[in-house]
Amino acid sequence: MGARHKSMSEYILEMLNISKSFAGVQALKDVSIRCRPGRVYGLVGENGAGKSTLMKILAGAYQADVGEIIYKGQRREGASAGDVIDSGISIIYQELALVPRMSVAENIFLGREPQRAFGLLDLKSLHERAAELTERLGIAMDTSLPVSELTVAQRQLVEIAKALSQNADLIVMDEPSAILAGSELDQLFSIIESLVEQGVTIIYISHRLDEVFRIADEVTVLKDGELVDTRSIDQLDRQTLVRLMVGRPLDEIFPRTDHEKGELVLVAEDVSTDTILEGASLELYKGEILGIAGMVGSGRTELARALFGADPLTSGTITLTGDKGASWSNPAQAIESGLVLVPEDRKSHGLFTSLSVRVNITLPILSRITRFGVLQSQAEDEVVEEAKHRLSIVMASADQEAQYLSGGNQQKVVLAKWLETHPAIVILDEPTRGVDVGAKFEIYKLMRQLNDRGIAIVMISSELPEVIGMSDRILVMNDGRIVGEVAQEEATEAGIIELATMAGAKAKVS
Amino acid sequence: MSVAKPYESATSVGGWPLRLRLFIANYGVYIALLALLLAATVLTPRLYDVNTIAVVMRQASQLGIVAIGQTLILLVAGLDLSVGGIFLMTSIVVADVTNGRDELVIPAILIALALGALVGLGNGVLVTKRRVPPFVATLGMLVLVKGATQAYTKGVPGGFVPDILGIVNQSWFVLSIPLLLWLGLNAAFIFVLRRTVYGRKVYAVGSNIEAARLSGISVDAIRISVYILGSCLAVASGIVLTGYVGYVDRFIGTGLELDSIAAAIVGGTAFVGGRGGLLGTIAGVLIIQILSTMALLMGLDIEVQFIIKGLVILGAVTLYSLANVEA
Repeated sequence: MGARHKSMSEYILEMLNISKSFAGVQALKDVSIRCRPGRVYGLVGENGAGKSTLMKILAGAYQADVGEIIYKGQRREGASAGDVIDSGISIIYQELALVPRMSVAENIFLGREPQRAFGLLDLKSLHERAAELTERLGIAMDTSLPVSELTVAQRQLVEIAKALSQNADLIVMDEPSAILAGSELDQLFSIIESLVEQGVTIIYISHRLDEVFRIADEVTVLKDGELVDTRSIDQLDRQTLVRLMVGRPLDEIFPRTDHEKGELVLVAEDVSTDTILEGASLELYKGEILGIAGMVGSGRTELARALFGADPLTSGTITLTGDKGASWSNPAQAIESGLVLVPEDRKSHGLFTSLSVRVNITLPILSRITRFGVLQSQAEDEVVEEAKHRLSIVMASADQEAQYLSGGNQQKVVLAKWLETHPAIVILDEPTRGVDVGAKFEIYKLMRQLNDRGIAIVMISSELPEVIGMSDRILVMNDGRIVGEVAQEEATEAGIIELATMAGAKAKVS
Repeated sequence: MSVAKPYESATSVGGWPLRLRLFIANYGVYIALLALLLAATVLTPRLYDVNTIAVVMRQASQLGIVAIGQTLILLVAGLDLSVGGIFLMTSIVVADVTNGRDELVIPAILIALALGALVGLGNGVLVTKRRVPPFVATLGMLVLVKGATQAYTKGVPGGFVPDILGIVNQSWFVLSIPLLLWLGLNAAFIFVLRRTVYGRKVYAVGSNIEAARLSGISVDAIRISVYILGSCLAVASGIVLTGYVGYVDRFIGTGLELDSIAAAIVGGTAFVGGRGGLLGTIAGVLIIQILSTMALLMGLDIEVQFIIKGLVILGAVTLYSLANVEA
């Protein structure tokens, strides 16, 4: 009790010994952070380090399994998301929570509109108060415009104004810069500075270390759900921070086979699509694994979709070399040409959850097991049986709906489906996300077997040890561009993070 | 950013054991049908009269043929309200083209099928290329088709229905032309859905449209084709209805569009697509038809019939959503 009284004056927020697990997966383990009023706290860590989980616990979206939260000197018990907002904590998520058709002012006061008698809206006061807030933020904005008319950067400012209207003393910004460029970022920083002067505390989550150095007073590093360290910014340099984020040595074993570099199979030149992807060029060789590293949102998935013909190209060319020399403009043609994509989001893009394992596996090769358009059950059974064997898929029967399989087996079903097309090139987008360790090794082994058969693999992964351990070469993406190539022998996590978080790539574009 | 989503253990979602849920999903509608038939032995033994069975089966066939199309459309996560307009259109085409002459029945049917296919194409294009929600697209088409047919007839439908179509009212024991047509179409489409590439693609598109697209399936072509099939099946049902009524009735088949959706849903076809099939729909059609007939035999008011029908639909949907993992 005594300790708590002492902390009351010093800290606005203490999250102490927080642990949280989801179905046996430990997302946070004994993490503590303390925030003093009027300061900016950087929160950094690789994807999956637990930053978002920690903030969702703060927001009241999750309850911690263990640990306590002391806010403004009071221990918080089982607060709902609404209670948390009322207590003065605002969280601005990456995906902004605004109503596009409503005006700026209406969005700021959504659910808390100023009222006159009989519950009538007090529109005059609504706009006056909204104008006050935007003025306090030092931004000029017509508060009667619908939010849909604003740029993404302006929308973010509306979110901040909304936080201020709720009298927030603590604002959490989850990767605010991910969608901002150059001058917009400067504006955000000057707003943060003025908020801090007004005594507001900011928790700033970012992948971009430059920004953290520019704005934060203290930095907390999380890794694999554990607290690595919290340090004052003047005790840190870039290298040290990267080392803290990466931390442990490789503790997983990746199967390797020695093989000569094969012939060129695919060339992509200056590929752009109507997404963040901008001018990507790459070459792919037979039997190799080309790793694609980069932070979430850096354009990795967009590159994969472009190669597969899933998004139309706005510039550039993709060609298969060799006797085929094919090019394509949609997935069907890509599959026909021997290129397949195992998408990142298994449940929404890869798997037919309501359909049987059998139907999932044979879907792209139906023409091979039909006669006059009629499916030959025996031929289909053979295909499914062989796939089950080759990938050791654990299932009750081939007629079991795919949704009832474990994550690892679902991923194997998606892999099996594509391998049945006998591809020359396989693009794997986050092949081991959400699968257990045993299944991971099986997927690694399978990738090597594919290499041995001459299949070229493009592997996108957020797990750096996996990228480094499995790839022959690694391309690093940042802001929609390929910013560097690293050979396997020279690859280090620190080096890749450095490339992936370097600022400026976007400034060149805009 | 976020922590990998933990996979829920398949046996514990929603509290009901997996086996029970699968049992309900697969066989629930047959158990319900069986229960209904048992209840009828006590409540309305007259249902088992050969003539009554013949009538029930003829009427079930009218509903059942539309319900085949509706099931196909629901499987690709669609919906078709325009079938009501197609019944009227078919009826008017038959009367107008033949004006009572038997020898012109075949050309009349072909013209009606062509027009129906056009309506289905319109539905399909609106839903896929213009991204209009199926409910709105087919509701608009319903109003459009009804309006167009009434403009054509200037509100006074003329012409006569050829006598030969009266054959749909004849039964041999319980067999009839509509029943044979219904059974034949069911057999054909069950085969298509289960054993052909096209059928697999229909399920794939309904189960996960993005995954289907990434699997190289022309998802728009599949969806449009299903709407066309649905409309053509509605024409087939409309011809049976025309023969049954015997003249051009402005209110022909009213309510069948909703009953056909209800039959498919009660039969276990998911409103969100990708799950279900025609075996369930057959049972759903029979349940709805037998319920109506029982209510009639018991002398219940039409309002009470509606209440019972509504309760059955809501009960079935509630049960499926409790039993379903993905719901």
